[in-house]
Amino acid sequence: MEEFLAFVTIDVWTLIFTWGNLIILFLLMKKFLFKPINNILEKRKNEIDEMYESAQNSKSDAEKLLEDYTEKLKNVNEEAEDILKTAKKRAEGKSEEIVSEAKKEAQVILSRAEREVALEKSRAQEELLKEVSGLATTMASKILEKDISEEDHKEMIDKFISEIGDGDDK
Amino acid sequence: MNGPKILFKIPVLGGIPVTETIVNMWVIMAIIVAVCIFLTRNLEVKPTKKRQVIAEKLVGMLYNLVEDTMGPGHKKFVPYIGALFTMSICGSLSSLFGVRPYTADLSVTLGWALVTFCMVQFTSIKTKGVGGWLKGFLEPVPFLLPLNLVSEVANPISIAFRHFGNIAAGMVITSLLYGALASLSAFVLGFIPNAFINSIPIFQLGIPAVLSIYFDLFTSFLQAYIISMLTMVYVAGAGEA
Repeated sequence: MEEFLAFVTIDVWTLIFTWGNLIILFLLMKKFLFKPINNILEKRKNEIDEMYESAQNSKSDAEKLLEDYTEKLKNVNEEAEDILKTAKKRAEGKSEEIVSEAKKEAQVILSRAEREVALEKSRAQEELLKEVSGLATTMASKILEKDISEEDHKEMIDKFISEIGDGDDK
Repeated sequence: MNGPKILFKIPVLGGIPVTETIVNMWVIMAIIVAVCIFLTRNLEVKPTKKRQVIAEKLVGMLYNLVEDTMGPGHKKFVPYIGALFTMSICGSLSSLFGVRPYTADLSVTLGWALVTFCMVQFTSIKTKGVGGWLKGFLEPVPFLLPLNLVSEVANPISIAFRHFGNIAAGMVITSLLYGALASLSAFVLGFIPNAFINSIPIFQLGIPAVLSIYFDLFTSFLQAYIISMLTMVYVAGAGEA
Protein backbone atom coordinates (compact mmCIF):
# COMPACT_ATOMS: atom_id res chain seq x y z
CA MET A 1 0.00 0.00 0.00
CA GLU A 2 1.61 3.27 -1.13
CA GLU A 3 1.27 6.11 1.24
CA PHE A 4 1.27 9.72 0.19
CA LEU A 5 1.45 12.95 2.07
CA ALA A 6 -1.15 15.58 1.34
CA PHE A 7 -0.34 17.85 -1.61
CA VAL A 8 -0.24 20.97 0.54
CA THR A 9 0.98 20.11 3.98
CA ILE A 10 3.71 20.88 6.42
CA ASP A 11 5.46 17.70 7.37
CA VAL A 12 7.71 18.23 10.36
CA TRP A 13 10.12 15.46 9.41
CA THR A 14 10.50 16.77 5.89
CA LEU A 15 11.15 20.18 7.38
CA ILE A 16 13.85 18.80 9.65
CA PHE A 17 15.41 16.82 6.82
CA THR A 18 15.36 19.93 4.67
CA TRP A 19 17.24 21.90 7.27
CA GLY A 20 19.73 19.12 7.72
CA ASN A 21 20.22 18.76 4.01
CA LEU A 22 20.62 22.49 3.50
CA ILE A 23 23.26 22.67 6.22
CA ILE A 24 25.04 19.63 4.82
CA LEU A 25 25.02 21.03 1.30
CA PHE A 26 26.15 24.39 2.61
CA LEU A 27 29.11 22.79 4.38
CA LEU A 28 29.99 20.52 1.47
CA MET A 29 29.81 23.30 -1.10
CA LYS A 30 31.89 25.48 1.15
CA LYS A 31 34.49 22.76 1.45
CA PHE A 32 34.50 21.55 -2.13
CA LEU A 33 33.69 24.65 -4.13
CA PHE A 34 34.12 27.94 -2.34
CA LYS A 35 37.18 27.20 -0.29
CA PRO A 36 39.33 25.76 -3.10
CA ILE A 37 38.27 28.46 -5.53
CA ASN A 38 38.93 31.21 -3.02
CA ASN A 39 42.26 29.65 -2.15
CA ILE A 40 43.33 29.53 -5.74
CA LEU A 41 42.14 33.08 -6.34
CA GLU A 42 44.03 34.24 -3.29
CA LYS A 43 47.12 32.42 -4.48
CA ARG A 44 46.81 33.94 -7.92
CA LYS A 45 46.38 37.38 -6.42
CA ASN A 46 49.49 36.93 -4.31
CA GLU A 47 51.45 35.70 -7.28
CA ILE A 48 50.34 38.63 -9.39
CA ASP A 49 51.18 41.02 -6.59
CA GLU A 50 54.60 39.48 -6.33
CA MET A 51 55.09 39.76 -10.06
CA TYR A 52 54.06 43.38 -9.99
CA GLU A 53 56.41 44.05 -7.15
CA SER A 54 59.33 42.36 -8.85
CA ALA A 55 58.51 44.12 -12.10
CA GLN A 56 58.44 47.41 -10.23
CA ASN A 57 61.75 46.57 -8.60
CA SER A 58 63.30 45.61 -11.90
CA LYS A 59 62.03 48.79 -13.44
CA SER A 60 63.42 50.99 -10.71
CA ASP A 61 66.70 49.08 -10.83
CA ALA A 62 66.90 49.58 -14.55
CA GLU A 63 66.12 53.24 -14.17
CA LYS A 64 68.80 53.60 -11.55
CA LEU A 65 71.28 51.79 -13.75
CA LEU A 66 70.38 53.98 -16.68
CA GLU A 67 70.87 57.06 -14.57
CA ASP A 68 74.19 55.75 -13.31
CA TYR A 69 75.40 54.95 -16.76
CA THR A 70 74.28 58.25 -18.17
CA GLU A 71 76.11 59.98 -15.36
CA LYS A 72 79.17 57.83 -15.93
CA LEU A 73 79.07 58.40 -19.65
CA LYS A 74 78.91 62.11 -19.10
CA ASN A 75 81.84 61.85 -16.73
CA VAL A 76 83.73 59.75 -19.21
CA ASN A 77 83.23 62.34 -21.89
CA GLU A 78 84.39 65.04 -19.59
CA GLU A 79 87.34 62.97 -18.52
CA ALA A 80 88.28 62.21 -22.08
CA GLU A 81 88.08 65.88 -22.92
CA ASP A 82 90.19 66.65 -19.92
CA ILE A 83 92.74 64.07 -20.83
CA LEU A 84 92.85 65.32 -24.36
CA LYS A 85 93.20 68.89 -23.22
CA THR A 86 95.98 68.11 -20.80
CA ALA A 87 97.72 65.99 -23.37
CA LYS A 88 97.47 68.76 -25.87
CA LYS A 89 98.71 71.26 -23.37
CA ARG A 90 101.54 69.05 -22.38
CA ALA A 91 102.44 68.38 -25.97
CA GLU A 92 102.34 72.06 -26.74
CA GLY A 93 104.45 72.79 -23.71
CA LYS A 94 106.90 70.12 -24.69
CA SER A 95 107.17 71.31 -28.25
CA GLU A 96 107.66 74.84 -27.10
CA GLU A 97 110.27 73.68 -24.71
CA ILE A 98 112.01 71.73 -27.41
CA VAL A 99 111.90 74.64 -29.79
CA SER A 100 113.16 77.06 -27.19
CA GLU A 101 115.87 74.67 -26.16
CA ALA A 102 116.84 74.24 -29.74
CA LYS A 103 116.87 77.97 -30.16
CA LYS A 104 118.94 78.33 -27.07
CA GLU A 105 121.35 75.69 -28.23
CA ALA A 106 121.53 77.29 -31.61
CA GLN A 107 122.20 80.56 -29.87
CA VAL A 108 124.93 78.93 -27.85
CA ILE A 109 126.46 77.34 -30.90
CA LEU A 110 126.25 80.60 -32.78
CA SER A 111 127.81 82.59 -30.01
CA ARG A 112 130.54 80.02 -29.59
CA ALA A 113 131.20 80.10 -33.28
CA GLU A 114 131.31 83.89 -33.18
CA ARG A 115 133.62 83.75 -30.26
CA GLU A 116 135.88 81.30 -32.05
CA VAL A 117 135.84 83.41 -35.16
CA ALA A 118 136.76 86.45 -33.10
CA LEU A 119 139.50 84.47 -31.35
CA GLU A 120 140.85 83.19 -34.63
CA LYS A 121 140.78 86.66 -36.04
CA SER A 122 142.66 88.13 -33.13
CA ARG A 123 145.12 85.27 -33.21
CA ALA A 124 145.67 85.80 -36.92
CA GLN A 125 146.17 89.49 -36.36
CA GLU A 126 148.63 88.75 -33.64
CA GLU A 127 150.50 86.32 -35.85
CA LEU A 128 150.48 88.76 -38.69
CA LEU A 129 151.81 91.39 -36.42
CA LYS A 130 154.52 89.05 -35.18
CA GLU A 131 155.41 88.10 -38.74
CA VAL A 132 155.49 91.64 -39.87
CA SER A 133 157.65 92.62 -36.93
CA GLY A 134 159.95 89.62 -37.65
CA LEU A 135 160.11 90.64 -41.29
CA ALA A 136 160.93 94.13 -40.44
CA THR A 137 163.71 92.97 -38.14
CA THR A 138 165.05 90.66 -40.80
CA MET A 139 164.83 93.36 -43.40
CA ALA A 140 166.60 95.78 -41.13
CA SER A 141 169.40 93.31 -40.38
CA LYS A 142 169.70 92.56 -44.07
CA ILE A 143 169.87 96.21 -44.93
CA LEU A 144 172.54 96.65 -42.33
CA GLU A 145 174.70 93.94 -43.96
CA LYS A 146 176.39 96.11 -46.69
CA ASP A 147 178.72 93.61 -48.15
CA ILE A 148 176.14 91.96 -50.19
CA SER A 149 176.66 91.37 -53.90
CA GLU A 150 174.33 92.37 -56.60
CA GLU A 151 173.44 88.87 -57.11
CA ASP A 152 172.92 88.14 -53.52
CA HIS A 153 170.81 91.20 -53.28
CA LYS A 154 168.59 90.07 -56.01
CA GLU A 155 168.34 86.64 -54.57
CA MET A 156 167.57 88.04 -51.15
CA ILE A 157 164.78 90.19 -52.51
CA ASP A 158 163.33 87.23 -54.33
CA LYS A 159 163.53 85.18 -51.16
CA PHE A 160 161.95 87.95 -49.21
CA ILE A 161 159.18 88.25 -51.66
CA SER A 162 158.62 84.51 -51.62
CA GLU A 163 158.83 84.57 -47.84
CA ILE A 164 156.21 87.29 -47.72
CA GLY A 165 154.13 85.27 -50.11
CA ASP A 166 154.56 82.35 -47.80
CA GLY A 167 153.56 84.49 -44.86
CA ASP A 168 150.54 85.68 -46.69
CA ASP A 169 149.62 82.17 -47.56
CA LYS A 170 149.73 81.21 -43.93
CA MET B 1 -2.84 15.03 -7.33
CA ASN B 2 -0.93 13.42 -4.53
CA GLY B 3 1.72 14.86 -2.30
CA PRO B 4 5.13 13.25 -2.08
CA LYS B 5 5.13 9.52 -1.74
CA ILE B 6 6.36 8.01 1.49
CA LEU B 7 9.07 5.63 0.36
CA PHE B 8 9.95 4.08 3.71
CA LYS B 9 9.93 4.76 7.39
CA ILE B 10 12.91 4.86 9.66
CA PRO B 11 11.77 2.72 12.59
CA VAL B 12 12.65 5.11 15.38
CA LEU B 13 10.47 7.58 17.27
CA GLY B 14 7.38 5.84 16.04
CA GLY B 15 8.56 5.72 12.44
CA ILE B 16 10.11 8.70 10.67
CA PRO B 17 8.57 8.89 7.21
CA VAL B 18 11.11 9.35 4.43
CA THR B 19 9.36 10.75 1.42
CA GLU B 20 10.22 11.04 -2.24
CA THR B 21 11.14 14.62 -1.51
CA ILE B 22 13.92 13.66 0.87
CA VAL B 23 15.35 10.91 -1.29
CA ASN B 24 15.34 13.11 -4.40
CA MET B 25 17.07 15.77 -2.40
CA TRP B 26 19.78 13.36 -1.35
CA VAL B 27 20.36 12.24 -4.90
CA ILE B 28 20.56 15.79 -6.18
CA MET B 29 22.82 16.85 -3.34
CA ALA B 30 25.14 14.00 -4.19
CA ILE B 31 25.19 15.15 -7.82
CA ILE B 32 25.85 18.75 -6.81
CA VAL B 33 28.71 17.77 -4.53
CA ALA B 34 30.14 15.49 -7.19
CA VAL B 35 30.04 18.34 -9.71
CA CYS B 36 31.69 20.67 -7.22
CA ILE B 37 34.46 18.16 -6.58
CA PHE B 38 34.89 17.60 -10.30
CA LEU B 39 35.05 21.32 -11.04
CA THR B 40 37.61 22.06 -8.36
CA ARG B 41 39.91 19.12 -8.93
CA ASN B 42 43.56 19.99 -9.59
CA LEU B 43 43.13 23.70 -9.45
CA GLU B 44 46.02 25.68 -10.87
CA VAL B 45 47.14 29.21 -10.37
CA LYS B 46 47.32 29.53 -14.13
CA PRO B 47 44.12 27.83 -15.24
CA THR B 48 44.52 25.53 -18.20
CA LYS B 49 41.32 23.55 -17.85
CA LYS B 50 37.94 24.77 -18.93
CA ARG B 51 36.24 23.41 -15.84
CA GLN B 52 38.35 25.54 -13.55
CA VAL B 53 37.45 28.62 -15.54
CA ILE B 54 33.79 27.69 -15.28
CA ALA B 55 34.02 27.10 -11.54
CA GLU B 56 35.83 30.39 -11.00
CA LYS B 57 33.31 32.20 -13.15
CA LEU B 58 30.37 30.75 -11.21
CA VAL B 59 31.86 31.58 -7.85
CA GLY B 60 32.83 35.03 -9.06
CA MET B 61 29.32 35.68 -10.34
CA LEU B 62 27.87 34.63 -7.02
CA TYR B 63 30.23 36.91 -5.13
CA ASN B 64 29.32 39.79 -7.41
CA LEU B 65 25.62 39.11 -7.00
CA VAL B 66 25.86 39.02 -3.22
CA GLU B 67 27.99 42.15 -3.13
CA ASP B 68 25.67 44.01 -5.50
CA THR B 69 22.60 43.07 -3.49
CA MET B 70 23.83 43.15 0.08
CA GLY B 71 26.64 45.63 -0.22
CA PRO B 72 30.26 44.97 0.71
CA GLY B 73 31.17 43.10 3.87
CA HIS B 74 28.69 40.25 3.48
CA LYS B 75 31.06 37.73 1.94
CA LYS B 76 30.31 35.16 4.62
CA PHE B 77 26.80 34.75 3.23
CA VAL B 78 28.04 33.72 -0.18
CA PRO B 79 28.34 29.97 0.47
CA TYR B 80 24.89 29.84 2.06
CA ILE B 81 23.29 31.78 -0.79
CA GLY B 82 25.15 29.55 -3.22
CA ALA B 83 23.90 26.41 -1.51
CA LEU B 84 20.34 27.72 -1.36
CA PHE B 85 20.36 28.80 -5.00
CA THR B 86 21.88 25.55 -6.22
CA MET B 87 19.53 23.45 -4.11
CA SER B 88 16.51 25.37 -5.35
CA ILE B 89 17.38 25.40 -9.01
CA CYS B 90 18.52 21.79 -9.19
CA GLY B 91 15.40 20.67 -7.33
CA SER B 92 13.11 22.54 -9.65
CA LEU B 93 14.96 21.48 -12.78
CA SER B 94 14.84 17.83 -11.73
CA SER B 95 11.25 17.86 -13.00
CA LEU B 96 12.76 17.91 -16.49
CA PHE B 97 13.95 14.37 -15.86
CA GLY B 98 10.53 13.21 -14.74
CA VAL B 99 11.50 13.31 -11.09
CA ARG B 100 9.10 14.85 -8.65
CA PRO B 101 10.71 18.20 -7.86
CA TYR B 102 11.28 18.56 -4.13
CA THR B 103 10.61 22.27 -4.37
CA ALA B 104 6.99 21.29 -5.04
CA ASP B 105 6.86 20.28 -1.38
CA LEU B 106 5.75 23.05 0.93
CA SER B 107 7.76 21.63 3.81
CA VAL B 108 10.97 22.18 1.87
CA THR B 109 10.36 25.76 0.79
CA LEU B 110 9.00 26.59 4.22
CA GLY B 111 12.14 25.13 5.73
CA TRP B 112 14.30 27.43 3.59
CA ALA B 113 12.06 30.40 4.32
CA LEU B 114 12.32 29.73 8.05
CA VAL B 115 16.11 29.69 7.78
CA THR B 116 15.91 33.08 6.11
CA PHE B 117 13.54 34.26 8.86
CA CYS B 118 15.92 33.12 11.58
CA MET B 119 18.86 34.76 9.82
CA VAL B 120 16.95 38.01 9.57
CA GLN B 121 16.02 38.01 13.26
CA PHE B 122 19.51 36.98 14.30
CA THR B 123 21.14 39.67 12.17
CA SER B 124 18.70 42.22 13.52
CA ILE B 125 19.50 41.31 17.12
CA LYS B 126 23.20 41.30 16.36
CA THR B 127 23.20 44.80 14.89
CA LYS B 128 20.60 46.49 17.10
CA GLY B 129 20.84 44.48 20.30
CA VAL B 130 17.88 42.72 21.89
CA GLY B 131 16.37 46.00 23.07
CA GLY B 132 16.73 47.61 19.68
CA TRP B 133 15.32 44.55 17.98
CA LEU B 134 12.23 44.52 20.23
CA LYS B 135 11.85 48.28 19.91
CA GLY B 136 11.89 47.89 16.15
CA PHE B 137 8.44 46.32 16.34
CA LEU B 138 7.06 49.47 18.00
CA GLU B 139 8.20 51.76 15.24
CA PRO B 140 7.23 54.13 13.82
CA VAL B 141 4.31 54.24 16.34
CA PRO B 142 3.59 51.65 19.03
CA PHE B 143 0.07 50.79 17.94
CA LEU B 144 1.50 49.37 14.70
CA LEU B 145 2.97 46.48 16.71
CA PRO B 146 0.44 43.90 15.43
CA LEU B 147 1.05 44.98 11.86
CA ASN B 148 4.81 44.78 12.32
CA LEU B 149 4.51 41.30 13.77
CA VAL B 150 2.29 40.20 10.93
CA SER B 151 4.62 41.59 8.30
CA GLU B 152 7.58 39.90 9.96
CA VAL B 153 5.80 36.55 10.03
CA ALA B 154 4.38 37.06 6.56
CA ASN B 155 7.85 37.22 5.01
CA PRO B 156 8.77 33.54 5.37
CA ILE B 157 5.25 32.45 4.55
CA SER B 158 5.17 34.47 1.36
CA ILE B 159 8.62 33.22 0.36
CA ALA B 160 7.66 29.62 1.04
CA PHE B 161 4.32 29.73 -0.73
CA ARG B 162 5.63 31.63 -3.71
CA HIS B 163 8.29 29.09 -4.45
CA PHE B 164 6.15 26.10 -3.62
CA GLY B 165 3.17 27.43 -5.58
CA ASN B 166 5.11 28.14 -8.72
CA ILE B 167 6.80 24.78 -8.95
CA ALA B 168 3.79 22.78 -7.75
CA ALA B 169 1.52 24.56 -10.18
CA GLY B 170 3.95 23.88 -12.98
CA MET B 171 4.01 20.24 -12.02
CA VAL B 172 0.21 20.08 -11.88
CA ILE B 173 -0.22 21.80 -15.20
CA THR B 174 2.39 19.58 -16.81
CA SER B 175 0.73 16.44 -15.54
CA LEU B 176 -2.69 17.73 -16.58
CA LEU B 177 -1.32 18.43 -20.00
CA TYR B 178 0.17 14.97 -20.22
CA GLY B 179 -3.21 13.53 -19.26
CA ALA B 180 -5.02 15.64 -21.78
CA LEU B 181 -2.59 14.77 -24.53
CA ALA B 182 -2.91 11.08 -23.70
CA SER B 183 -6.69 11.35 -24.03
CA LEU B 184 -6.28 13.22 -27.31
CA SER B 185 -3.94 10.56 -28.62
CA ALA B 186 -6.36 7.82 -27.62
CA PHE B 187 -9.17 9.70 -29.33
CA VAL B 188 -7.28 10.29 -32.57
CA LEU B 189 -5.78 6.82 -32.73
CA GLY B 190 -9.05 5.26 -31.59
CA PHE B 191 -10.09 4.68 -35.15
CA ILE B 192 -7.33 2.15 -35.61
CA PRO B 193 -8.53 -1.20 -34.35
CA ASN B 194 -5.39 -2.16 -32.51
CA ALA B 195 -5.09 -1.99 -28.72
CA PHE B 196 -1.31 -1.43 -28.79
CA ILE B 197 -1.44 1.45 -31.24
CA ASN B 198 -4.35 2.93 -29.32
CA SER B 199 -2.22 3.04 -26.19
CA ILE B 200 0.60 5.09 -27.77
CA PRO B 201 0.27 8.66 -26.41
CA ILE B 202 1.63 10.16 -29.60
CA PHE B 203 0.83 13.78 -28.76
CA GLN B 204 2.83 13.59 -25.58
CA LEU B 205 5.90 13.75 -27.77
CA GLY B 206 7.19 17.27 -28.21
CA ILE B 207 4.15 19.32 -27.29
CA PRO B 208 4.73 19.39 -23.51
CA ALA B 209 8.25 20.62 -24.11
CA VAL B 210 6.89 24.00 -25.22
CA LEU B 211 5.10 24.53 -21.94
CA SER B 212 7.98 22.97 -20.08
CA ILE B 213 10.21 25.82 -21.19
CA TYR B 214 8.08 28.16 -19.13
CA PHE B 215 6.89 25.98 -16.26
CA ASP B 216 10.08 24.07 -15.66
CA LEU B 217 12.99 26.06 -17.01
CA PHE B 218 11.84 29.63 -16.59
CA THR B 219 10.10 29.27 -13.24
CA SER B 220 12.96 27.20 -11.90
CA PHE B 221 15.48 29.91 -12.59
CA LEU B 222 13.12 32.66 -11.55
CA GLN B 223 12.14 31.10 -8.23
CA ALA B 224 15.71 30.16 -7.35
CA TYR B 225 16.73 33.73 -8.12
CA ILE B 226 13.82 35.16 -6.13
CA ILE B 227 14.36 33.09 -3.00
CA SER B 228 18.09 33.89 -2.96
CA MET B 229 17.44 37.54 -3.71
CA LEU B 230 14.79 37.91 -1.00
CA THR B 231 17.02 36.19 1.52
CA MET B 232 19.84 38.57 0.70
CA VAL B 233 17.61 41.64 0.73
CA TYR B 234 15.94 40.81 4.03
CA VAL B 235 19.18 39.89 5.76
CA ALA B 236 20.96 42.95 4.42
CA GLY B 237 17.97 45.09 5.49
CA ALA B 238 18.14 43.66 8.99
CA GLY B 239 21.88 44.34 9.07
CA GLU B 240 21.37 48.06 8.60
CA ALA B 241 21.43 49.85 11.88
